[in-house]
Amino acid sequence: MTRSFPYLLLPVLWGARNRARRREKGDALRAVLFGGIALVVAAVIFAVVFWLTWQLLFYEELGDYLVRLGLSWLFLTFLSFLAFSALVTSLSTFFLSEDLRLLLAAPVPRDRLFYSRYAKTAGQASWMVVTFLLPVLLAVGLARCAPPGYYLAALLTVVPFVLIPVALGSVATLFLVSIFPARRARDVLMLMGLLFAVALVLLLRVLRPERLLSVQSLPDVTGFFATLQTPVTPLLPSFWAGETLFTALGGGVDWLHAGALWTTALAFTVFARMSFARQYFAAWSKAQEARKARFTRLRLLEVLVSRAPLRPPVRSLLLKDLKIFLRDTTQWSQLLLLLALALVYLYNFRVLDLERIPYMSGVVKNVYAFVNLGLAAFVLSAVAVRFVFPAVSAEGPAFWIVRSSPVGMRSFLWSKFWTGLVPILLLALGLTVVSNEFLGAATFLKILSAVAIVVMSVSLVGLAAGMGAKHPRFGAENLTQVAGSYGGIAFMILAVLFIVAVVALLAWPSLAYILHQYRGEPIPPLRQALMAASLLAALALSAVTFWVPMRQGVRALESLG
Amino acid sequence: MIVIRDLAKRYGPFAAVGGIELDVAGGEIHGFLGPNGAGKTTTIRMIAGLLKPTRGTIAIDGHDLAREPEAAKRALGFVPDRPFLYEKLTAGEFLRFHAGLYGLDGDGTTGRIAELLDLFELRLWEGELIESFSHGMKQRLVMCSAFLHRPRAVVIDEPMVGLDPRGARLMKDVFRAMSRKGVAILMSTHTLEVAQEMCDRISIILGGKIIARGTVEDLRALAGGEDEHLTPVFLKLTGGSALQEIDEAL
Repeated sequence: MTRSFPYLLLPVLWGARNRARRREKGDALRAVLFGGIALVVAAVIFAVVFWLTWQLLFYEELGDYLVRLGLSWLFLTFLSFLAFSALVTSLSTFFLSEDLRLLLAAPVPRDRLFYSRYAKTAGQASWMVVTFLLPVLLAVGLARCAPPGYYLAALLTVVPFVLIPVALGSVATLFLVSIFPARRARDVLMLMGLLFAVALVLLLRVLRPERLLSVQSLPDVTGFFATLQTPVTPLLPSFWAGETLFTALGGGVDWLHAGALWTTALAFTVFARMSFARQYFAAWSKAQEARKARFTRLRLLEVLVSRAPLRPPVRSLLLKDLKIFLRDTTQWSQLLLLLALALVYLYNFRVLDLERIPYMSGVVKNVYAFVNLGLAAFVLSAVAVRFVFPAVSAEGPAFWIVRSSPVGMRSFLWSKFWTGLVPILLLALGLTVVSNEFLGAATFLKILSAVAIVVMSVSLVGLAAGMGAKHPRFGAENLTQVAGSYGGIAFMILAVLFIVAVVALLAWPSLAYILHQYRGEPIPPLRQALMAASLLAALALSAVTFWVPMRQGVRALESLG
Repeated sequence: MIVIRDLAKRYGPFAAVGGIELDVAGGEIHGFLGPNGAGKTTTIRMIAGLLKPTRGTIAIDGHDLAREPEAAKRALGFVPDRPFLYEKLTAGEFLRFHAGLYGLDGDGTTGRIAELLDLFELRLWEGELIESFSHGMKQRLVMCSAFLHRPRAVVIDEPMVGLDPRGARLMKDVFRAMSRKGVAILMSTHTLEVAQEMCDRISIILGGKIIARGTVEDLRALAGGEDEHLTPVFLKLTGGSALQEIDEAL
């Protein structure tokens, strides 16, 4: 007897069940931390949306208009997320999954295979969007005292709303794979997605939405809403979903838009099934074909590294790490996002208007210099957890090559440390120096911050490299998983504690020094001793934060078995 | 060249390897046989420095692996059973990286790499990414890297897996040539014909202990059989009653 398509989804469910049963070290901490963060985020979203919707009740027609516009915008945003997510996910579920060979070799009817993969794509592509939608729709419903029918309408709206982009994304992927090799298509998609995110981040920041909060820019508000109205078109499923739910809020049923959603979702699903029936096997076969890899030779890098004053094993490790990083699109492309965030970071300091409070600006600027130091150190920790912490795990199953070679684990870990330190130090130092310049902090603080960020970079990169060696995950499918592992979370917690402690230890003596300078008073000897002790404590803490994890990391690598 | 004394590895209460002794002299090809789960790969991984023994010593070319790991590893070439490599490097880049790890940085390295790529018929793929290689090509590339630094001893886990008949023949010729030059070769394999054809001596491991050692003739005598092939001898020594069950099940 041939089983129905949900049977093909059983390995996914069993796999999830087995993962839940087989608990690993740090699972509880991770669950509490991520679950807690998710709950807090959901609660904040719920509270904000509830408050906004509640407030809009007082504006009658304008309020209704804004709720309606808000729903359309909400669904429009999620539609774009879903479309991109469906493209990437369907590439994986339909073409790159390891289990496809098994399923295609088995006597499984093609349409059942399609429906099982389609359901998997819909689940994987939409779970995050649905998770965010839930508190929003709940908050709107409760704030507007919606009837029970609204909640049913919400459910019946979200299902076809998700299926439409998933069906389109799956067909688009089928088309893409027919042209490009599957892995190249994934790289292209990842890059496009990242560039889109970078553009969005830069655009949102350069628009300077904080201007809306200032009284002087009130005349711009009408223009602002006119701009908001522009992309809301009745031709998109996001508009139909918004209209259906808005009608349901008042107790009515919008048969037209609900019908449009369902008929489109079903028609697209049928269209996708037909396209897959005709093209899938040919496209899948094409995805399996060996291709001649195209890649950059990086000759300049070879020349530069060969001239570096390093021992041959360290030079070899450095060159290998750099080449692998630069040839992996999923790795280097994240640097673009990092660059955009760094630009936004500096732009924030550029547009910071501290002169509005003239009598306070001197004090605020100096306090901000320490906030800036803490923030720059936090940015460098975030970069370190993504790029330095997984450096040892990145060796993956090929780690036997280094371990069976005459390179000691100390040299190996130090090579990882230096490879991570140089770019991170440049980034952190650049951020601190330029932002302090924009801020106009006192010269003494500019110098202190620059020295402090150099010392903190060494400590935090050492902490990341050492803890990454102590908690490696050589079997991880990708390095993002390593950064989100128990060790990665523990690193972030320790890094934040370290940053807070160092900033506090530096801030007190520095601000006291500036205050005495400003008043023209000498510093009493006891206070001088305490200030020196505070600075020394910061230095000692930095040394310990670097040294202990590096030593433990080397020991952990030496005792791998 | 390879001297192992009282080597043991425990995983909790389970003894994967229970105190084995093994000597492989220079120029000797020593076969290491045993059924699945007998402790072959665990032993080989300990010799390669990938696993820490629970007790015992390993010396390679006179260097104790625990006390002088770098000197011992410099004298050893290791070929694992599964050739996991850096997929984003080309074959040439991987070999240059490997040479760097072993401290080879001179002018002779490029020539040595070319020589080995020619020998293992990979010269045409020197500039291609490893991710586009077949299993057999990766296996041959690992062999190139293992022999690149002219090791005094070589440890190989399943040398013939993934190789076509031409590749397997090449491998046998290379091993014989190395043996003539005085290199000690310890070879774990399931292909008994290869062991019979190539090895000067064979050790059979079962349940983490070496249960038999000697030439093929010695093992035949130990098993008390007259069969010229090694397979029946191996099955007799390691308990081959399961074959009867297989026959019935099929």
